[in-house]
Amino acid sequence: MFRRKRRAEDFAEEIKAHLDLEAEDLKHEGLSVDEARRQARAEFGSVQTAQERFYLKNRIGWFENLLRDLRYGLRGLWHNPGFTAVAVITLGLAIGANASIFSLFDQALLRTLPVKDPGQLVVLSFAGDTDGHTHSYGGNPPGHRHEFSYPMYRDLREKNTVFSGLIAAAPSQAGLTWNNHAESVSAEMVSGNYFETLGVRPAEGRLFDANDETAEGANPVAVLSFDYWKTHLDEAPVVGHAVLVNGTTFTITGVAAPGFHSMVWGRTPDVFVPITMQRVVEPEWTYLKDHDSYFIDLMGRLRPGVTRVQAQSALNLLFLSLRRSEFALLHDQSANARKGYIDEAHLNLEPGGGGFSPMRGDVRTPLLIMMGMVLLVVSMAIVNVASLLLVRAASRVREFSIRYSLGATGGQILRQLLAEGALLGVAGAAIGLLLAPRALQLLIHWMHGSSPDEPVFSSTLDWHVLLFTIAATFIASLLFSLAPAVQFWNPRLADALKQNTGTGIGGSLKFRRTCVALQVGFSLLLIVGAGLFVRTIQNLRNVNAGFATDHLLSFDLSPAMAGYPLPDVAPVEQRVLDAIAVLPGVRGAGATNDADLAGDNRTGDVKVSGYTPKPNEDFDVELPWVSDNYLQTLGVPLAAGRYFAPSDTATSTRVAIVNQSFAQHFFGSVGAALGQHVSRPGRPETDATIVGVVRDVKHTTVRDPAMPTCYVLFVQSAKVGGLKYYVRTWQSPDSAVNSIRAAVAQIDPKLVVGEVSTMTDAIDDSILEERTIALLATVFGVLATILAGIGLYGILAYSTTQRTREIGIRMALGAHRGTVIGMIVRDVMVLAGAAVGVTIPLAIVGSRLVRSELFGISFADPAVYGMGILVIGAVAALASLIPAQRSASVNPVDALRAE
Amino acid sequence: MGRMTTRQKTEERIALLQGTLDLLILRTLLLGPCHGQGVARSIQRQSEDVLFVDHGSLYLALQRLEDKKWISAKWGTSENNRKARFYSLTPKGREQLLEKTSEWERLTRAMGLILRGSAGSSEV
Repeated sequence: MFRRKRRAEDFAEEIKAHLDLEAEDLKHEGLSVDEARRQARAEFGSVQTAQERFYLKNRIGWFENLLRDLRYGLRGLWHNPGFTAVAVITLGLAIGANASIFSLFDQALLRTLPVKDPGQLVVLSFAGDTDGHTHSYGGNPPGHRHEFSYPMYRDLREKNTVFSGLIAAAPSQAGLTWNNHAESVSAEMVSGNYFETLGVRPAEGRLFDANDETAEGANPVAVLSFDYWKTHLDEAPVVGHAVLVNGTTFTITGVAAPGFHSMVWGRTPDVFVPITMQRVVEPEWTYLKDHDSYFIDLMGRLRPGVTRVQAQSALNLLFLSLRRSEFALLHDQSANARKGYIDEAHLNLEPGGGGFSPMRGDVRTPLLIMMGMVLLVVSMAIVNVASLLLVRAASRVREFSIRYSLGATGGQILRQLLAEGALLGVAGAAIGLLLAPRALQLLIHWMHGSSPDEPVFSSTLDWHVLLFTIAATFIASLLFSLAPAVQFWNPRLADALKQNTGTGIGGSLKFRRTCVALQVGFSLLLIVGAGLFVRTIQNLRNVNAGFATDHLLSFDLSPAMAGYPLPDVAPVEQRVLDAIAVLPGVRGAGATNDADLAGDNRTGDVKVSGYTPKPNEDFDVELPWVSDNYLQTLGVPLAAGRYFAPSDTATSTRVAIVNQSFAQHFFGSVGAALGQHVSRPGRPETDATIVGVVRDVKHTTVRDPAMPTCYVLFVQSAKVGGLKYYVRTWQSPDSAVNSIRAAVAQIDPKLVVGEVSTMTDAIDDSILEERTIALLATVFGVLATILAGIGLYGILAYSTTQRTREIGIRMALGAHRGTVIGMIVRDVMVLAGAAVGVTIPLAIVGSRLVRSELFGISFADPAVYGMGILVIGAVAALASLIPAQRSASVNPVDALRAE
Repeated sequence: MGRMTTRQKTEERIALLQGTLDLLILRTLLLGPCHGQGVARSIQRQSEDVLFVDHGSLYLALQRLEDKKWISAKWGTSENNRKARFYSLTPKGREQLLEKTSEWERLTRAMGLILRGSAGSSEV
C-alpha cells in the first residue's frame, strides 16, 4: 500500500492559490489590488523557503530525523559520562572477546582454504583393513582412514574420470641449510600437480608441475612458503638458488602465494618438496614403492558437472578393483582377511572446501566451549547495559511524558531510544574491534606455546569477523535498547506527571528483578566453568607421571637432517649421548624415537613366545626404540630383571624390556615375562629376549593411562631415524642448555639441535588445550563477576533511591538502621538465592556437556559450585550493602519531604 | 532538571509548535472542509489575533497531517470561484483530535496548578 507522493508542483500551485485568496480578502478589506497582492506575499513569508522545506521533507526527512535523534542521543550520553563509560566499556570488552574467539572459531571450523573454487574440492578417506605401516596424525573416525599409499594414489590419479586433479601431501621435518646456516624446518612432500590443482599462484618464480614428480629421487626442487621466505630469509632472491635439504642439494624454483599454507588445515610447512624426494626427507622409510605404507593425505578437485556422490560411486569401483589386486599379494589369504580387506572396504569423498585436518577434531570441542563462554559474556553485557539504560530511563519518565504531551508519537520515542542504543553499540563495537586484534595476538601467542612452527591462527580480523561483529552488535543494541522502550511504549503520561514519586512504571520492577536474576545466573555459570577448568589444569599438572618430570631437559636431533647416510646415523647418535653424559651438571642422558608426554605414539602388533592370540586379536602395543640409559635417565622404576646396559650393543643378543601392563597381558605376571621372546609378526629378524620389566609410566599425555609397552634398543634396530634426547641435570635445567649445544657442535657443527625445553614445559604444551580454556574461563569469570557487581550496584542503587520515602516512614516509625539495611540486603539475597537455585541445574547440565575436557574432577564437584555460589553471593551482598547503608543513613524527615 | 535547559533552544520549541499547530488545524477542520488560507485566517481570528500562523509552517503541517491520514485533501473551488485545495477531517483525525484535546487540557490544568502556585512547589 504505497501512496503516490505529492509532487512539488502541486504544492507550489497550492501556495499560489493561497496568495490569490489572501489578496482577494485583503481587497475586500479595502486595499488596492497591488497593495493586497504585496501584503499577501509579505504575510506568507518566503514562498521559496516553504517550497524548499516541502521538498526536503519528502526527500531527506527521515535522514534529518535520524540525525536529530543521533545528535540528541549523543548529547544525552555526553551529559552522563559515568553511565556512558561503563556501558561502552562493558560492550567493548564483550564485543572484543566475542570477535576474538569468533575469529579463532571461524579460522578453524568455518573458513575455506585460500584456494581457487574450494567448493569443488573433496577429501578422500577409506574404510578397510590395512597391512603394514600407517603414519597417522589422527583425525580418523571409524571407517575414515585419511592416509593412503603412494602406489594407490598413483593408480587413483591416473585411472579416475571424475577429478580434474587428485593431489597428495604428507608432512615431515627436515634439516634445511641456507647460507651455511642449518635449521630444522617443517616440510610437506607434495604431488607435482599440488599447486596447479589447488590454484595457488607463485609469489616468486614458479611452483611445481607434473614434470617435478617423475621418478624416485629425480626431482631435487623446492618451493618455499611465503611466511618462511619472509621471516627467515628476509625475502632474499632465492629462485634458482641452491639449498640443502637433509644434506642433499635442492634448487629453489619459487615461493608460494602469501596466505597459503597447506591443503591440510593446521599445517604450516616452511618448504615443499616433490613427494618423489621422500627418501631424502625420511631416509629410514621406503614409502614410494610400498603398497602397505599409508602416509599421504589425498584431495581431489571434481570435474565441472560431476557431483560428489557421482564421483564417490564411480571412484569406489576403481578403488575396490585396486584393493583386489593388492590383496592378491598379501600373506594372509583367509576368507576373514579378504572380508576385512575387500568386502568391508569403501572410499569416502567428503566436502573439502576447508581442507582435511587431523587438528580440527582436537580444537572443535575447546573452541565450542570458548564460543559458549563468550556468548554468555555477551548476554551478560546485554543484560548489564539494559539494566543501566533502564535505570537511566526511569529518571527520564518526566522528560518522555512531556515529549508525548507535545505531540511526539510512541514510534518517535522508540526511535529515539533505539538511536541511543545504537550509539552505545557502535562505540562498544569500535572499542571491541580495536581490542580484538591485540587480544587475539596475545591468545595466539599463548596457544602457540613453545612450538617452533609458524602459528596456525592469524590475528588479522577478516570480513567474516567484521560481519559477525556487526550482526552481534546490531542484535545486542536492539535487545538492550528495547528494554527501556518497553516501559515507555505507552506510559500513562498524565499519571507519570501527577505522580511525584516518579515510579509510574509498575512493569519495571519485574524487569529489574529479572535483570538481577539473569546477572547472578550468567556470572555463576561462568564462575563455575572457570572453577572446573582451573581445577582440571591443576590436576593435570600434578598428575604423577610415574617418573620425576623436574630437572629434565629434552631436545630433538636428527642426523639425517645434516645429511648423514642411514648406516652412520646410529653411531653418531650414540656419540652425542656419550658426549652429553659426561658434561658437568648432567646426571644422565638418554634418547628415544617416541617422545614422552608429547602426544606421540609408535604402535604395532607383536608376536610373543608362549602366547596364543585369541581369534581376531589385533593387539597393538607401544614400541619405542631407546638408548641403553634412557629408562634410568627418566627414572622409570624396575620391577624385575635388569635395565639395558652399555654391553647391549648392535652386535650382541637382541634384548627388550617390557612394562607391567605388557607382562600382565601376555604372561599373567611380572616374573613370567623374563626370558620370553618378542618379535614383530612376519619379521623373525626382530626377535628379542625380554631381560627386564619396568613399572607403567604415563607416555602419550598425562591424561592417558599407560599402554602395554615393549622397549628395544635403537642401536639394535634396522632403520633408526631422529631421536628425542632427555638429559637429567643436577641444577636448574636451563644452565645446561649452552653446554649441550656446544658439545653437539663439537661432534659436528652441521647437526641441528632443535628447541631445548624442560619436561615441565613440554607437559604444559601437551595440556595447552586445557590451559587455554582455563585461562579464558578465568578471564571471563572475573569479567562476569565485575560486570555483575556493576550491574547489580546500578539497579540496587536506583531501586533503593526509589524506596527512600518508604524507608523514611519505616525509620520514622522507629525502625533501626540495621533493620533497614537488613531488609534491603535480604531482599536481594532472596532474589539471588532464587537465581542460584535455577542456575545450578543449568550449570550441571552445561558442565556435563564439557566433561570430556575435565580431568580429575567431577562435572558436579560440590567445592567448585560452593565456591561459585559464595563468590556471587558476596558480590550481590556487597552491591546491595552500599546503597542500603546510604539510604538508611538519610534523615527520615528529609526522606519524607524530598518528594 | 538541569538537562532540560540545553534542549529548549531548538527541537523542543519546534515540537511545541508542531504539537499545538496540529491540534489547532484539526480543531478548525472540525467545523467543515476548508482550504489552507481559510484555516490560517480562522485560527488568527478565533485567537483574537494573538496567535500568528507562519504560513510556510502551516502548509507543511497540513501536508504532515495528510501523510498521517488524519486529514484528506482535494482540489476544488472557493466561494468566490477560485481554485483551492480543500482539507477535511478523516475519522482517524477526529479520534486524534479528541485524544489530543484531552491531553492538552490535562497538561494545561497541571501547568496551571503549578503556575498558580500550589503549596510545595515554591520550596524547591
